[in-house]
Amino acid sequence: MKRYSQYTIEVGDLWDVSFWKKADTMDLIYIVYGLFIVILVVVSYVLGALSLLPHNPQEINLELLMAPPNTAGHLLGTDFMGRDILSRLIIGIQAYFLPGLLAIAIALTAGTIFGVLAGYWGGGLDTTTTYISNLLNSFPRLVLILLMVAAFKPDIYTIMLVVGVTNIPAVASLIRSKILFLKQKNFIEAAMALGLKSWVIIFKHILWHNCRAILIIQATLGMAEAILMETSLSYLGFGVQEPTPSWGNMVQAGANYFMQGNFWPSTAPALAILFTILGFHLLGDGLNNILEGKRG
Amino acid sequence: MNSRPVLKIENLRTFFYSKGKRAFVRSVDGVNLRIGKGETLGIVGESGSGKSVTALSIMGLVPGEPGVIIGKIGLKTDNIQKNLLQDLRDYVKINMSTGRIMEVYKDNVGWQKNVDRVMQGIRGTEIAMIFQNPKLALNPFIPIGKQITESIRINTPIKKRSQARERAMYWLAKVKMDSPRLRYYNNPYGLSGGMCQRAMIAMALSSDPSLLIADEPTTGLDATIQSKIVDLLADLKSSVGVTTMLISHDINVIKALSDNVAVMYGGTLLEHGPVGIILSAEHQAKHPYTAALLESIPREKHIREKGYLQAIKGDVLDTINIPLGCRFYSRCDKVTEKIQEKCDNHEPDLREISSGHSLRCWLYYE
Amino acid sequence: MAESILEVENLRKYYLQPRGLFSPFKTEKRIIPAVDDVSFYIKKNETMGLVGETGCGKTTIGRSILKLTPVTSGRVIFNGTDITHLTPSEFRPYRRQMQMIFQDLDAALNPKMRIKSILTEALTVHHKLSEAEINHRIEELLEKVNLKKSKLSSFSGELSGGEKRRVGIARSLAVGARFLVADEPTSALDVSIQAQVVNLLKDLQKNLGLSYLFISHDLRIVELLSHKVAVMYLGRIVEMGLAGRIANAPRHPYTRILWSSLLKKKSQEATQVPSDQHDGRWGVFDFERSYSGCRFAPRCPVYEAKGNPAICSDPANAPKLSDIGNGHKVSCHFPLE
Repeated sequence: MKRYSQYTIEVGDLWDVSFWKKADTMDLIYIVYGLFIVILVVVSYVLGALSLLPHNPQEINLELLMAPPNTAGHLLGTDFMGRDILSRLIIGIQAYFLPGLLAIAIALTAGTIFGVLAGYWGGGLDTTTTYISNLLNSFPRLVLILLMVAAFKPDIYTIMLVVGVTNIPAVASLIRSKILFLKQKNFIEAAMALGLKSWVIIFKHILWHNCRAILIIQATLGMAEAILMETSLSYLGFGVQEPTPSWGNMVQAGANYFMQGNFWPSTAPALAILFTILGFHLLGDGLNNILEGKRG
Repeated sequence: MNSRPVLKIENLRTFFYSKGKRAFVRSVDGVNLRIGKGETLGIVGESGSGKSVTALSIMGLVPGEPGVIIGKIGLKTDNIQKNLLQDLRDYVKINMSTGRIMEVYKDNVGWQKNVDRVMQGIRGTEIAMIFQNPKLALNPFIPIGKQITESIRINTPIKKRSQARERAMYWLAKVKMDSPRLRYYNNPYGLSGGMCQRAMIAMALSSDPSLLIADEPTTGLDATIQSKIVDLLADLKSSVGVTTMLISHDINVIKALSDNVAVMYGGTLLEHGPVGIILSAEHQAKHPYTAALLESIPREKHIREKGYLQAIKGDVLDTINIPLGCRFYSRCDKVTEKIQEKCDNHEPDLREISSGHSLRCWLYYE
Repeated sequence: MAESILEVENLRKYYLQPRGLFSPFKTEKRIIPAVDDVSFYIKKNETMGLVGETGCGKTTIGRSILKLTPVTSGRVIFNGTDITHLTPSEFRPYRRQMQMIFQDLDAALNPKMRIKSILTEALTVHHKLSEAEINHRIEELLEKVNLKKSKLSSFSGELSGGEKRRVGIARSLAVGARFLVADEPTSALDVSIQAQVVNLLKDLQKNLGLSYLFISHDLRIVELLSHKVAVMYLGRIVEMGLAGRIANAPRHPYTRILWSSLLKKKSQEATQVPSDQHDGRWGVFDFERSYSGCRFAPRCPVYEAKGNPAICSDPANAPKLSDIGNGHKVSCHFPLE
């Protein structure tokens, strides 16, 4: 049995083969799906912010407790207090969106600064930043968050602050290794010989031209991470507190009724979490494969 | 040319699919060669001319997925007589139109299995290879002597460890490694490039191959070490007399070591013949490319007069878009008006213009 | 006598090599003298060739001149100004006048930038130019280095070796450099392309009045391009003089070995090195040996032929670079005739 792989020539000007055509079909599917999720999240955020929801998410309807999906205008059914699940899912995004962005912003900004310090100037700075990131890495993140929550209050922003800070070492080490790799290629040295100022080299040659892909990918992965973190904490009861809906506390609240056969109050937010995180990860993965190449 | 050939290559074509460019790179494009027993064939060419790929094709080591080798490589030694590409054609389907490869279907798994089956007992045993970068080709953490010993035990009838060790010592001494008994235990990472190359040569020769392929054996070494390696290879040529295919971009190396020379350009042979005719400055009838290559090397004359070098205009041929006519046409400065039309549109074939000397140029055809 | 554009005086560059697991705690580190007491000068519109094997310190000299690496001691004087101890901001104006052509073809080329923006950047580092001026200057540059205009929109990965080299040269010229350190500009190129680049460098010198420090391991190309040649061995200049004299009448045994190994001209008395025992270590620092005497002695055919005279291996008696007439300097106890 012979299994043939097909290789076909591209007719036309060789350098005209566009960026997207060179990409793997699978990567493109990842990216399209990821973008779809991102758009869905943004649209949900806007809808939630404008209160354009099918039902009032806080409205308790004692006549329709645990209504299964698609009853009386409730597309995904209602929960144990008769609140519309779809509306709560949409408004739940509010709990993630801005805090998630905060976490990303902290991780990327501080990570980039430390990465550049360590990679570009090296020497003692490199040693110091490496020690700091080792320190951060060796401290269990969940414990840190629980400490913060115990010390202050169970606020989503506190949690995201910690998530962002604990993500700094990962970003910093990525940026650092990228800079060390670029330094081997000599063009940074050539730029110095040209008389360019350090900040031009750092911002233009290193960050803008060679690290932006990494940063975008880290941003998508960071968002997924933030959602996951909030979910686990809410499930444990430390995250967003009732009655403010978040996907994590929806799963937690619904889980009590799961064994009674009422699967939808917990399954709907669980699936939402699954597909959203998958979307962000696939987006990051696809972008990584296309922008950075499969090997590196 | 009168001895019986050890290796006979007929119409060898090797091409790769470049995913980035969505096109086929025709690295080797119709090469015919024969290497007689005991003879050294030098292959000269610039980067991208396909000389290394020719060597790798002989070994069945085509790098990169969908590499396709077609043609015939006949190996005839004391023990074996076979076509190294037998049955391989069954694993690919090629659609061509107007001289361009449009589509290729290849059964990669089946192809690889077949190559491994055919090459069994040939790689390392019948055909040995010296690579350009000896430091990469040797395992850096195993003593060189041990590596040679293992190679001897695998590739030759000597299976006893102590005998193989003695044999390895013999070869280390043969390649003029100083104090071979000490060097036997040295790891490659502690040795210089020249030393590693010597060890590599010892390892290649220790299996008593019928054909030795030396791919750029002196590139990347310092000038003084280079000349020592060349001296060593010349010594070995007279004392061991192994049939060699020597690949280099350095004309001086080729000149010092080969009996016959093949000049490669853009995946094909432009000229083939005895070294005395092709690489001597006096002999006039040669391919314009060969002549220009010889001219572009700085000579004492240039240095004394601080003159300009004879540069070849243009750039090395890109083997994706191979022109219809002569491959060297766009860079050639010997095109006359009479043959211009032919040069541009028809590729000349490799014709013998005098005994043993053939070239591919319309200038020399009536 | 023309004014010198660059003077290097007693340049030293020592690397400290930490060794072993506890090296951070050790105060004593081994010293590698990559460049040891090197002095030379380059006149305007002339080329100084620097030859030597791998690891002899020739690239380090080039990098030290451009202040890409700090020097241990010594002075570099450019156009009459001592630039050794300038701060980076004080040194910036000098970057306009001196540039480097890197051995690595890709060095000057950020892989994510198009050729046009690479050249534009170089043009606008030190001067403010309008769009039209930039386009005009780029066209001029392309003409100077024989590069096709269609290549402007490509990335460096799409260029061939020769084209990359041309872009690198154009980039150095864009700043307006008068002095170029050319570090092995041809070693990564094919023979036919190498000739193009050598001719281009010659042309540029003639037309623009450039001065070069031409670093290469290929003595032939160095001799062809240079007015003056210095031969380096293990961080020291062993012979220096006019190119013609170095080519035709080398006095140092090492230069002669270099020549004969390049041109395959076997002049018996010079190439006969008795054994191969130093094959491996040549040109690279051997830390186990002290380098206070003549560094070339272990490899030297004259040393061998004269029956190992004590003066050559005497640590206190390192040969000095002394003038033997017509500015030809040799550092050898027994210079060849």
